[in-house]
Amino acid sequence: METDAFNAVSQKLGGVSRRDFIKFCTVLAASLGLPLGAGEKIAEAVVAARRPPVIWLSFQECTGCVESLLRSSHPTLEHLILDLISLDYSETLSAAAGHQVEAAKAASIEQNKGKFILVVDGAIPTKDKGIYCKIGGKTALEILNETAPHAAAIIAMGSCASWGGVAAAGSNPTEAKGIVELLPGKKVVTIPGCPPNPYNLLSTVLYFLTFNKLPDLDAKGRPKFAYGRIIHESCERRPHFDAGRFATQFGDDMHRLGGCLYKLGCKGPETYANCSSVLFGETGAGTWPVGVGHPCFGCTEKGVGFHTSLYTLANVQSLTPPVFFSEAFPNTPGVSGGIKSMAMGASGLVVGAAGAAVLTGMGKKDEGEPPQGPEKKGPGAQHKEG
Amino acid sequence: MMDLTKYIGPTYNDFVQKLLDDRQTKYLGIKLITPFTLVLVALIAAAVVVALYRLAFGIGAASNLSDAWPWGLWISFDVLGGVCMAAGGFLIAGAVYICGLEKYHCVARAAILNAFFGYLLAAISICMDIGRSVVIWKALISSQINSIMFIVAIHVVLYTSTLATESSPMFFEKVGWDGARHKVSRCMVGVALFGVLLSLLHQSSLGAVYLIAPGKLSQIWYSQWIPYCFLLSAIMLGLSMVSFETILTGKVWNHPPPRDVLSGLGRGTLIAGVLYLALKIYILLDTPGLVGMVFDGSFLGNLYLLEMAVGVVIPIGLLSLKSVRNNIHRLFAVDIMVVAGVLLNRLNVGIFGVQEFATRSGGDYFPSAMEWILTLGMIAFAILGFKLCAKYLNLFPQHH
Amino acid sequence: MPISRRDLLKGAASGGLLLASGVPAHATMSTTLPPNAVGFLYDATLCVGCKSCVVNCKIKNCEPGGALYQEGMKKPPYETKGPGNTGQWDETQELSGKTLSVIKVYKNGTCQTKDAEVNGFAFFKQQCMHCITPACASVCPGGAFRKDPDNGSVYYIASKCIGCRYCQLACPFGLPRYEWDAAWPEVRKCQHCRHITKKGGMTACAEFCPTGATVFGKVTDLREEAKRRLALKPGDEYQFPIQTVHSPNRQLRKVAKYVAKVYGLTEVGGTQNILLSGVSFEHLGFRPYLKNQALPELTWHYIAKIPWVFAGVFIGGTAIYKITHRNRKEGEQP
Repeated sequence: METDAFNAVSQKLGGVSRRDFIKFCTVLAASLGLPLGAGEKIAEAVVAARRPPVIWLSFQECTGCVESLLRSSHPTLEHLILDLISLDYSETLSAAAGHQVEAAKAASIEQNKGKFILVVDGAIPTKDKGIYCKIGGKTALEILNETAPHAAAIIAMGSCASWGGVAAAGSNPTEAKGIVELLPGKKVVTIPGCPPNPYNLLSTVLYFLTFNKLPDLDAKGRPKFAYGRIIHESCERRPHFDAGRFATQFGDDMHRLGGCLYKLGCKGPETYANCSSVLFGETGAGTWPVGVGHPCFGCTEKGVGFHTSLYTLANVQSLTPPVFFSEAFPNTPGVSGGIKSMAMGASGLVVGAAGAAVLTGMGKKDEGEPPQGPEKKGPGAQHKEG
Repeated sequence: MMDLTKYIGPTYNDFVQKLLDDRQTKYLGIKLITPFTLVLVALIAAAVVVALYRLAFGIGAASNLSDAWPWGLWISFDVLGGVCMAAGGFLIAGAVYICGLEKYHCVARAAILNAFFGYLLAAISICMDIGRSVVIWKALISSQINSIMFIVAIHVVLYTSTLATESSPMFFEKVGWDGARHKVSRCMVGVALFGVLLSLLHQSSLGAVYLIAPGKLSQIWYSQWIPYCFLLSAIMLGLSMVSFETILTGKVWNHPPPRDVLSGLGRGTLIAGVLYLALKIYILLDTPGLVGMVFDGSFLGNLYLLEMAVGVVIPIGLLSLKSVRNNIHRLFAVDIMVVAGVLLNRLNVGIFGVQEFATRSGGDYFPSAMEWILTLGMIAFAILGFKLCAKYLNLFPQHH
Repeated sequence: MPISRRDLLKGAASGGLLLASGVPAHATMSTTLPPNAVGFLYDATLCVGCKSCVVNCKIKNCEPGGALYQEGMKKPPYETKGPGNTGQWDETQELSGKTLSVIKVYKNGTCQTKDAEVNGFAFFKQQCMHCITPACASVCPGGAFRKDPDNGSVYYIASKCIGCRYCQLACPFGLPRYEWDAAWPEVRKCQHCRHITKKGGMTACAEFCPTGATVFGKVTDLREEAKRRLALKPGDEYQFPIQTVHSPNRQLRKVAKYVAKVYGLTEVGGTQNILLSGVSFEHLGFRPYLKNQALPELTWHYIAKIPWVFAGVFIGGTAIYKITHRNRKEGEQP
């Protein structure tokens, strides 16, 4: 990264020092699971001249996802992000409002057709043609269908946008759906969570900017670096699960001692997310639900979060690998080594004794004479039983 | 002979002198200090060390037994083998005192003494094999009549006492306690009858020990008839052992073996062997698929064939010939075969027969060095004991 | 030499004594379920292999009265035989003199799917089955294994044990384990947490099982529960009880595909611990040749003949003696 290039934008970056900036990019690279050199690449991409616009659409949402984004740590981050990605439309963060901001959005879409990143948070009601969420006189469904075809990348931020979330919970009176269902055939990155860790989104966006492609996604469109493992696998209380130290009531002894919350309904064993590794808020250890003593309720997982009862036991998805247990029935065929040797030896002795006996004894003549010699020892002396 | 009067007083000195008086047996020409005896003493000493080690540190430290193979060399060879080799005692005692077959009288003392040492060997080995040797008496007072082992324990204790009683006359005779000797002689018939009863029961009970394990012990040996198989093979082996010892003592010591006794023993072995073979054939035919299992060249099938061939079939074939029964060298060879074959049978039932179950469960077994030492030491003890008794007691009272 | 009156009486007396010692057979020989027989139902499809039962079984049995308890012990006995294990942690891989219950696994191929026979895996909890007619109790010469006449648990009295290990041979499942390394060894196996269950509590494994794979209760109730589960279709939702079979704590789960058999209803005369599984029981180590007959009956057939042998030998022997000695003179020496 050239000093000139950095200096040219350092004011825009809120006067952040070059070192702090590189540090930030390295942290982001780490959260993406990228190798050490990638931080520099990201930094270069950030200070590059041309930065694509982002349209952020919000529908049936609580704004928690945006709030979560604002809780990313560095104080000048808002500046950085807003400048970095040229946030052209956001209901929460835009300075403008009303028809002005709608006009700005339309202009940006027109100007950046095929180049902007579309981020959506909140679910979309579909009942009665979607009249239960209208912005600027248009239904959410219409807005999505107008905007999505022109986007370079579509990201569903939060569980609501990914699969319906709390908006689709219970009887789902508005028939709320996530945007993936409403955009069949389109590639949609989903960042589920309620809210998700902001770095899950930030890292995905920066990856896209740096490498011009999306990170590896799983079958549900979730970036694997964040949603590749269940919480149970990295949970700090996992040893307690394995040793059977469970809290059975809030406030009981085991709960106070930090025991596993499985019996209180923790959905960690069936929820794919990185909360147990990355935590929230960057304020130190334990800042996540399980860490503060409440079971995970599976907010990222369709069918678990907002669907299964909070205190129902989770179905453990990924079990301790079978290599750590001994086999129920080895069913070893054949004859084990020691026994084989022993049998060979015993048979050998028997055959040897019999053979020697026959060879030495059968041929001798004895017509009733006493045996020759007083002190002759017999051939089978070693088999003599006293 | 040393005069120990000044150490232990005249009465005890008299007792010791009488005991150590070996003039009566000088004709046998037994030399006590020979290389062979020294080997025996060394083995016994090593066995004592192993026994102390085992008592101090537990069975796991002294042997290779494990949960997959809880019974090994000591049980199969020392106990099962030792007991069946001592079967000669009750057979000869029964023949002489109950059936009145006086011609076997001359081998009676030796046979009974041999049996006594055999049972001592088995009893000491059991004490070594169980984990809590000093409380072995608890097995005798528990009245667990469901347990074959309880029955075996009581029988073995009673029978060892019976054998001691049957052996006592020659001891009393040696030290001159004629009153005691007379008393014992009067009870001899009852004692012999009791001994026959006990022996019949526990020889077969040792086989019955395995009745509880139908899946574990291979079908090749397991059947409801296993107690009778054990009994008949013990009779075979007992008679062969008496014959073997008589011929052997005849070879190494100056003591002509009585030929009619030997051919009689040979006939007895033949009859027992035929009955045993008949029972085995019946079992083979009665159990579906068993003939195939035995002849299919498998590990256990081959062991069975070897045991039957060397221990039963070939000896029966040979003993049916008069030329064999009247030739002591040939008899000796046949006796060795029977001994080897029946001992292999005990090893098969005790160790190899459970191989399939144990191997499939992931187990293995090969006796440790200490197990071998203890076994050899026990055998050495029996041989040396017999030799000492032959030198100092009148084992062969009548020349034939 | 005539058989003296004295030794005839002696022989008859000892024989009679042995016959008279025919005390009524213990509960060891009974083939019926005791009135309050307890046990647990292990459902392998619910087991997640967390080993909480293994850990807590060991902890609870180190309390006074427990199967692993020894005076002065500071911590439960650890399995330390693995490579590099310095004794700082417990590596339970197998039942032993230190481990009364263990979780093992059935593996096949890629081990991808739980409770699938092919390319799958399944967990298995191994411990004493508490047979209705236990072979171990019937063969013990010292009477160290006893079956409780009330709740049917097969328990161990160490003071009666002589360490002969006949129980290890007799058990058709190969479950009793021995303290090979001790100078004063015991036989160890699950005893249904007798010190807890006799006071009305439940076994440690059932108490600590988080998913309800192990549920404790009366055997009659457990059998009904097992039958109920087998009657459901895979995919049906069912409220599985946790800890005890009648517990109000339930978890709603989908029923997995079971092998259509409850193990322990009839095998070796029936066992008080019963099992359900998604994979065939043979894969878990239960040999298929085990008959539905109580094993002690096999030995009893033989033992019952013993009084007849006594009678036969005495009568027969005396008769033979009389016949062969009718012409004998007195005074011959043996």
